[in-house]
Amino acid sequence: MEFAEHIKTANVEDVVLRQPLQPPSRGTLCITGHHLLFSDREESDSRQVLLLLRNIDAIEKRMSGSSGTITMKCKDLRVLQLDIPGMEQCLNIAHSIETLSCLDCVSAMYPFFYRPVDLSLPEQWGLSSPEMHYSQMKELYEKWRLSTVNRDYSVCPSYPPAVIVPKSIDDDTLKKAAKFRQGGRFPVLCYYHKKNGMVIMRSSQPLLGANRKRCKEDELLLQAVIEGSDKGYIIDTRSMQQAQQARMTGGGFESKSFYDRWKRFHRQMERGKALQESLIKLVEACGDESNNMDRWLSKLENSKWLSHVQNALSTAGLLVECVERDGHSVLVHGSEGTDCSLLISTLAQLIMDPCCRTMEGFLGLLEREWIQARHPFQQRCAHSAYSHARLQQESPVFLLLLDCVWQLWRQFPLALGFSEALLLRLATEVYASDYGTFLCNSDQERCALEVKERTHCLFRALLRPTERDYYSNPLYERTELAIWPSVHPQSLQLWKGYFLRWTQQVRHLEEAQEEIRNMVIEWGKLARS
Amino acid sequence: MLLYIMEFAELIKTPRVDGVVLHRPFMPTVEGTLCLTGHHLILSSRQDNTEELWLLHSNIDSIEKRFVGSLGHITVKCKDLRVIQLEITGMEECLNIASSIEALSTLDLVSLMYPFFYRPMFEVIEDGWNSFLPQNAFKDLESMTDEWRLSEVNKDFSLCPSYPPLVAVPKDFDDETLKKVATFRHGGRFPVLSYYHKKNGMVMMRAGQPLTGTNGRRCKEDEKLINATLRPGKRGYIIDTRAINVAQQAKARGGGFELEANYPQWRRIHKAIERYNVLQESLIKLVEACNDQSHSMDRWLSKLEASNWQTNVKEILTTACLAAQCIDREGASVLVHGTEGTDSTLQVTSLAQIILDPGCRTVKGFQSLVEREWLQAGHPFQQRCAQSAFSNSKPRHEAPVFLLFLDCVWQILRQFPCSFEFNESFLVLLFEHAYASQFGTFLGNSAAERARLCLPEKTVSLWSWVNRPQELERLTNPLYEPNSLVIWPSVAPQSLLLWEGVFLRWNRSSKCLDEAYEEMVHIIEYNKELQTKVNSLRRQLAQLETEDPLLHTP
Repeated sequence: MEFAEHIKTANVEDVVLRQPLQPPSRGTLCITGHHLLFSDREESDSRQVLLLLRNIDAIEKRMSGSSGTITMKCKDLRVLQLDIPGMEQCLNIAHSIETLSCLDCVSAMYPFFYRPVDLSLPEQWGLSSPEMHYSQMKELYEKWRLSTVNRDYSVCPSYPPAVIVPKSIDDDTLKKAAKFRQGGRFPVLCYYHKKNGMVIMRSSQPLLGANRKRCKEDELLLQAVIEGSDKGYIIDTRSMQQAQQARMTGGGFESKSFYDRWKRFHRQMERGKALQESLIKLVEACGDESNNMDRWLSKLENSKWLSHVQNALSTAGLLVECVERDGHSVLVHGSEGTDCSLLISTLAQLIMDPCCRTMEGFLGLLEREWIQARHPFQQRCAHSAYSHARLQQESPVFLLLLDCVWQLWRQFPLALGFSEALLLRLATEVYASDYGTFLCNSDQERCALEVKERTHCLFRALLRPTERDYYSNPLYERTELAIWPSVHPQSLQLWKGYFLRWTQQVRHLEEAQEEIRNMVIEWGKLARS
Repeated sequence: MLLYIMEFAELIKTPRVDGVVLHRPFMPTVEGTLCLTGHHLILSSRQDNTEELWLLHSNIDSIEKRFVGSLGHITVKCKDLRVIQLEITGMEECLNIASSIEALSTLDLVSLMYPFFYRPMFEVIEDGWNSFLPQNAFKDLESMTDEWRLSEVNKDFSLCPSYPPLVAVPKDFDDETLKKVATFRHGGRFPVLSYYHKKNGMVMMRAGQPLTGTNGRRCKEDEKLINATLRPGKRGYIIDTRAINVAQQAKARGGGFELEANYPQWRRIHKAIERYNVLQESLIKLVEACNDQSHSMDRWLSKLEASNWQTNVKEILTTACLAAQCIDREGASVLVHGTEGTDSTLQVTSLAQIILDPGCRTVKGFQSLVEREWLQAGHPFQQRCAQSAFSNSKPRHEAPVFLLFLDCVWQILRQFPCSFEFNESFLVLLFEHAYASQFGTFLGNSAAERARLCLPEKTVSLWSWVNRPQELERLTNPLYEPNSLVIWPSVAPQSLLLWEGVFLRWNRSSKCLDEAYEEMVHIIEYNKELQTKVNSLRRQLAQLETEDPLLHTP
């Protein structure tokens, strides 16, 4: 195997492993192509640690005398330490971890090798497809159609082969509209609000450029969206100034003169590098051991993470207000339409639509809005908060989404069918996984690499009965109402379950939740017998 | 009594106004009739004659009035941090109401307070005034050790006005010695037993500061008294709740600290816990931050930081952990004091007991702790809780010392959600009643004052009301599982949260959280029910099996 050349020392005896919340243990360390395996020699209460190398964000090595210490900082924010006897062995291990943890080749990644005995490769990958989704939404038939204009990914490489568009717009018009939008991401339907027939559309920015080009087809397409209504809203996730500057690089925004029935709001949302830096600062603050309250609170403030959470939730709130309260359709976009647009359209759907709040509903929503609509997971999640590597495309947009969902869950503990444990699992899987769900940057790439044929799907695995029990919310009671989150700064909290997961006190809370969960399971068993 | 009622009548110029509109957080606006009585502000809507609002004047911290034309707006800010608005038509009525509220809410005379007028509408099953007598607590101690005795040296409160009539002291010390020691300690607060750690026989004592003064006065009896609590060859710890420089400065005013030379068997540790005005200002700033409407995350976090409240919580918890650590892990006895020994000292000794003693984590045990370590130990509740966060008057003796203690308990409860028999509501209830109550429990500043006021005869105890099944049910933690271990809370700043249940209680709707809580209670109760059913079925099955041996042979 090609991995072998990176592994000079596969086994080391007498290694001491230190990990949070547990006493240090001594045992054997093995390195394989994808894993770091540690097992201690205790006869009775034997412990094993199996860590995906992909989960390791950064390592530090320190030599003292003839032994060495490797500190591994993981993408799930855990910090592990290995004390390894023998300098050469230690260097070899460190080198293997460094190389194997950031292999670039997708097809060499673990999901392609993961073959659990109790699971055969799926007939159907994923929970649904645009076709199935459309066929289940009878309300759409009258005014909307499923277009396969992108069946070979030529119109928009980042869209799935089938998308939902207004019935009156033919594929030629779509092709022309696509040329007018960055990356070909022409406006498509992402949510239909059954209560009033209004919709959420998303796209990328229009390519006006400095000389204010226009595109009749794009205007027609948007016109068709609000047919029969007096107006629509556009939520641009950039500030007015940023949107204007985008014209210099060929982008822009929908001007009033050509889109006169659309009212535009600008809401600046942080993205890209700024978000990644915010995460790095937050994690650094959480790991601060100075035991000083002022320092902690100013570092927390300084990281701006909670401001980003607040901003995302309030922009989603604006979107919901337009659709649910004001009764108008909305188009959402920023620049590329693959980050903030997805974030707020997902949150808005959770707030409005009770179907998205069950476990299947939520995973289905993630599949539609993030996997099919293409969030570039591989680029965004290549590194997490500890990496020293120069930032490229990394950005914790998906993590920010999970944090916002957690805030919703905290404010409405009965309304969501899943628990915090699911959010934590997703936050871990998105950075390093046995499953193929978060591999690649788009549907097209996934097809090229046969991800759907050769890997397991996380969402399907999570819906198996045992897993489902574990991740469901015992307190869940469906409500048809919109769940309007409070976005007052005082109402938002740090997501301790994730950011302080490896500290003692969070553990006690987990135990309490575990207790309730066990009771419910017990209850279910008793009720059946 | 009639005289008092006459006095109230003088203060109430307009006892009744119709058409008053009431605005409250997260509740619909109500219009109704406003009535002022000697102790209450009552608003009842005219439709069904029910009272929409029944507010003790003593709960009112400050009021503001404002006029728009002849429509007056009165903003009432309560000590429990609630803010309500009244709209009153007619300038004269409004002014009269406002001045009556101002006068009635700041009555100074204790004997005019509502608890003296309140007659319980419930049956008292167990008189709370007798629930936690020192002699009963001492019986428990006697069962564990014979090294202590209950002294009556303070029976007429002459030796130490802030101590109860009975205190536990080392057996070998007679009352004469205690009298000498009392002259050497601030306010006569000679070292007394606060807690006996059954596991290893170590003790925690508390006292006032020693009066060494600038020329290093010493008192042999004091030295002997505290040395008597040490095991042979063992050292003890003195935890001084003041920073070393504050303790140094105290010498100039006659106070001081235990010098190494005179107390060679004791190691002194200084911890800086804030007191008085500093705490009161911290509370005022925090509440102001919580009510900030600016929507800016940065602003909120900086204001939270600037209030220093969380820092105070952390310092108190850290010191309590230190005391508990000395006792449980180091196997050493501890003496805690600050200046007077009635504020930060009690925070530390009572929290240390919560950490160490599972008994203090039950409903009754916690009541007993509050009674022992706060009420009888002489925390001046009336002075400290005279005003809360909204008051405009200059703070004198006010300080949220007890609220900070409750906040610290809440932090531990949150970190160990299954180890406490009571829930957050119980803590909130104690906060409310410490500031304004129909019960006499928190009146007065010491046992001596309470005795003078004849509170047990003339008022009802809060514990009489709380310890009834229907109240207990509301205050009990459904997740409780007795945990006999010492519980060590994390005091890392990241682990400490703002106590939303008090500070954001009126800023956010708690409807969804309450529903979730109820659902959880429901699940747990149903679970218990089914468990019982399963057990009885199992018993039946076992019985059938023994009765019918054929069942075993297929």
